[in-house]
Amino acid sequence: MSVAVRFSPADFEPVTARRQLQVSSRPSLSYWQDSWRRLKGSRRTFASLCAVMALGAMAVAGPWVWSVDPAAQDIDQISQAPAWPSSALIVPPYTPWAAVTATPTQAGDVVTNLRLAEPASTQAVRLVWEPVVGAAGYVVYRSVYDTAPDRALGLPIGEVLGADQASFEDRLDLEPRRYWYSVVVTDENRAEQSAYAALTVDTVRTVSAGDAELRGWVEDATVLAPGDQIDLPYHPLGTDYLGRDMLARLLYGARVSLFIGVVAPLLFVLVGVVWGSAAGFLGGRVDQLLMRVADFVIALPFLLFMILFKIAFGIGPGESGVFPMLVALVLLGWPSTARLVRGQILQVRQEGYVAASQLLGARTGYLVFRHMIPQTMGVILVTLTFAVPSAIFTEAFLSFIGMGVAPPTPSWGSMANEGIRTMLSHPHELLFPALIISATVLAFNLLGDGLRDALDVRMRGRE
Amino acid sequence: MIVANDAPVLDVSDLCVEFDTHGGVVQAVRGVSFSVRPGKTLAIVGESGCGKSVSVQSIMGLTPMPPGRITRGAARLDGVDIVRQKIVNGEDVRGNRIGMIFQDPMSALNPTMRVGDQIAETLQVHRGMSKRDAFARAVEVLALVNIPDADARARQFPFAFSGGMLQRAMIAMAIACEPAVLIADEPTTALDVTIQAQLLELLEGLQRKNGMAIVLITHDLGVVARVADDVAVMYAGEIVESGTVDDVFYRAAHPYTLGLKAAMPSRETSKSVGLMPIEGAPPDLFRPPAGCGYAERCPHAMLVCGPHRPQRVEVDPGHHAMCWLHHEDAPRGTDAVYRGGRA
Amino acid sequence: MLTYTLKRILQGIVTVWFIATATFVAMHAVPGDPLANQRATNEQIQRNLEQRYGLDRPVSEQYVVFLGGILRGDFGISFTQENRRVNDIIRENFPVSATLGILAVAFAALGGILFGALTALFRDRLPDLVIMFLVILAISVPSFVVAAFSQLALVDINVYLGFSLLPVAGWGTLRHMIVPSMVLGLGTMAYLTRLMRSSMLEITSSDFIRTARAKGLPPARIFLKHQLRNAVLPVVTVLGPAIAAITTGGFVVELVFAIPGLGRYFVEAVQQLDYTVIMGTTVFYGAFLVSMVIVVDLLYGWIDPRVRVE
Repeated sequence: MSVAVRFSPADFEPVTARRQLQVSSRPSLSYWQDSWRRLKGSRRTFASLCAVMALGAMAVAGPWVWSVDPAAQDIDQISQAPAWPSSALIVPPYTPWAAVTATPTQAGDVVTNLRLAEPASTQAVRLVWEPVVGAAGYVVYRSVYDTAPDRALGLPIGEVLGADQASFEDRLDLEPRRYWYSVVVTDENRAEQSAYAALTVDTVRTVSAGDAELRGWVEDATVLAPGDQIDLPYHPLGTDYLGRDMLARLLYGARVSLFIGVVAPLLFVLVGVVWGSAAGFLGGRVDQLLMRVADFVIALPFLLFMILFKIAFGIGPGESGVFPMLVALVLLGWPSTARLVRGQILQVRQEGYVAASQLLGARTGYLVFRHMIPQTMGVILVTLTFAVPSAIFTEAFLSFIGMGVAPPTPSWGSMANEGIRTMLSHPHELLFPALIISATVLAFNLLGDGLRDALDVRMRGRE
Repeated sequence: MIVANDAPVLDVSDLCVEFDTHGGVVQAVRGVSFSVRPGKTLAIVGESGCGKSVSVQSIMGLTPMPPGRITRGAARLDGVDIVRQKIVNGEDVRGNRIGMIFQDPMSALNPTMRVGDQIAETLQVHRGMSKRDAFARAVEVLALVNIPDADARARQFPFAFSGGMLQRAMIAMAIACEPAVLIADEPTTALDVTIQAQLLELLEGLQRKNGMAIVLITHDLGVVARVADDVAVMYAGEIVESGTVDDVFYRAAHPYTLGLKAAMPSRETSKSVGLMPIEGAPPDLFRPPAGCGYAERCPHAMLVCGPHRPQRVEVDPGHHAMCWLHHEDAPRGTDAVYRGGRA
Repeated sequence: MLTYTLKRILQGIVTVWFIATATFVAMHAVPGDPLANQRATNEQIQRNLEQRYGLDRPVSEQYVVFLGGILRGDFGISFTQENRRVNDIIRENFPVSATLGILAVAFAALGGILFGALTALFRDRLPDLVIMFLVILAISVPSFVVAAFSQLALVDINVYLGFSLLPVAGWGTLRHMIVPSMVLGLGTMAYLTRLMRSSMLEITSSDFIRTARAKGLPPARIFLKHQLRNAVLPVVTVLGPAIAAITTGGFVVELVFAIPGLGRYFVEAVQQLDYTVIMGTTVFYGAFLVSMVIVVDLLYGWIDPRVRVE
């Protein structure tokens, strides 16, 4: 190694000037500094913190930004899936259409020249055809799927009787989309022939000027002339089964669900902290009594008693049922926090440094603020964060089984409850509330995990 | 029957261990060499965090890797390196050729398994004994380490044992397969003084009986003086001085050893002088010093000590020290001062 | 151990009494006339009905009658279904709920232990990351959403396959039970997985695992005999509350999958304000849960020798 290095006698002079003995290469951090560093250090936790704040902002500001009335029904767009903004063509008011008759000139078991008498609109689809000699009548089918592949004709929407009948007007729940129409001839026994004539029709959304005014789309119908285009109310996330705007309902629902989800845990954690610290500090008989009560409350089957309390409080007409749910959550939620806080306080009281502090003459106030609170704060904060998702779950669960927020007040749980009825035909009505509940709970769970890692004293120094 | 054999049974050379932590890489062990001969006891002494436990635990493969890492070095058990390969001749050497006991016997045993079963387990694995035979043998070994009513005790769970009893049980577990080497990592630190003495006696007795080598990790110089044949003094991840117990105690050749001795209470410590603590703290192993790790705290430090690492010098036969004071150019006067014990 | 068992059972009885009292108080705080839904067309019928259900007596007497009924195991007669005893309703529907619950708990416990052990073994590697990602998802999605979408998916799968792989709803055979019990147990399984994982990791760095390695035991033996058994302990302690969560959470799954369980009955009874059925099922559920917690506690004492002595 350094065998070849020659040293001069000067190298062996004693060190006279003592340098500073030891400088740690890592800075020392206070509890909260260290916690904040850990919190920021975890990208996941930081993202979830941002998401939680965004959700809060959404609940507060959302209904102002998207100021659509969540109770307003758009009867033209019921159970509408999310779509681009749509418009309607202004047409003259609906006028009845006289049925077309024609003398059948052709034989056979299927009509020919099936066509539209005029452009198809959501007002009416008017079909005409060349009738068939000897037919007893004609049955018209409509399908929203292509009929060609498996000859499934769809819904029989009408029948006209008489061989000379050559037209049919469809006004049944027309939506702006593509329809597959089929016309089948019936024989004298009113049995349907197997052959059919088919026509593919694309309908255009139309509305009369008067209807447009009636629905509040324009102030004054006279400004509109047939042929004008008018923009329809836009529902970015579609509408529910009553034609209410999903986005507006989700935003108002955020207020309800997050209010319950955040305020209830705040309240019951507060009650728990007071209860638990009273038990921990006072000790003895009082402690035993307080904790026995907590034991009993914790033994109550949670969801059953949430339901019982809800019906015990009752919901009067016009009430949303948010307050009873809040009270029920607080009544049943506090004991676990109380137990935790009591345990923490007992533990901290046993610590050597608290005894040392007491020996040095520290007063109770100092002990509480210098030792107890910093030691228990982290645990309380973590409990609070994890209590939020469970409160949101409880709200959603109760609203889902119809025991929660009363309609028409929107909450995410009640929206999911309504959405599940139309799950098969219009999955978006369940999907959106389900997604937002899951995203919120996920954000709070991740935040809770991050906080626990950041604040848990036992985790310190490990990594 | 002891064969006085000078060939070391365990020979560790130039061992280096690092750990990745969120603050950087800690060089916990920086080129440690020691060896132990059959029937002899080597004591490795040093203060907390100097790397003595990490050295032996990394040899045994007990340090978690990652974040730990052995970057260099070898540990030869009868000439075969076991640092990277624990299986020799199809047998794990651990628990078989090398036994190990730990500091805190209360947590070192599985709380949900009967003590006898935990001992028998070793025999089943290494000796291929049936469960029944192994348990019977476990009871014998428990009796060997002076556990009264061994048969009943073997059927109990660890929580029913006292600390001293548990450490005996640990020893029984470690020696069940009659290992060539027993590594005792601060075996008496967690126990009270009378139990300490009993355990040391027990270890000495066992060593006399089956001639195993003992590597004793401790920070208690009293224990060293009592049981060790050879001593290695560790500081900041290096062995700064090594030799026989007499060499190190009476002819200390490193200022740190002197400092340790001065900090140890003894009959000679007069009330007026009191104990002499070593000022300062060990160096930060995130950024190990270029020269001597002790230079900052050393009362005899010279200019050369800061930037240059001292070489290992043989001051007497078998007595090594890593200190610039032994360099030919070092002032002899200072030498005389600190080697007062021999002057 | 015997005194401990007796003490736990005594505590359980007191707890059930408390649950019964709380139920009674809550139900008597319900506003409105319990017989409002009945076809009490005139005064006489109203009086007869009141007499039949004991509503003409003072509340304290009703309470005594209610408690006496519970002691005899008699919960009275349904308000809305004439002549149907609450006991019969429970006897008919509870086995369905219990089967569903037991399957779900078994699924949750086995899955939680398995996946928790797996993630700990593959710490910070791909299987760990994937499973933990799924776990956090499973914890965050409400059970009714999982139930609804798994049903939807099942419909599509059955359509796609052209035959019924598993029934979409209903009850009866084991095939009916698979999906609902998995859905019901999923959240708890995710929770147990996390618990098992952290417990495993804590054990991995514990002293006695280091001892086992120092003894030169093969890794498989260390894992099975030392690590797993000790890591399972915290999982067992939360099984009691987990059973409670799963049984009551079963309401939703019973609703979605049209399973004729007691939970669905309870929800219907609440909607129709059927007082005796509500009180009866609540007390019955409460007693069931309390006894499950006791059983789990005793089980824990059997697994962990340290508890046995205390």
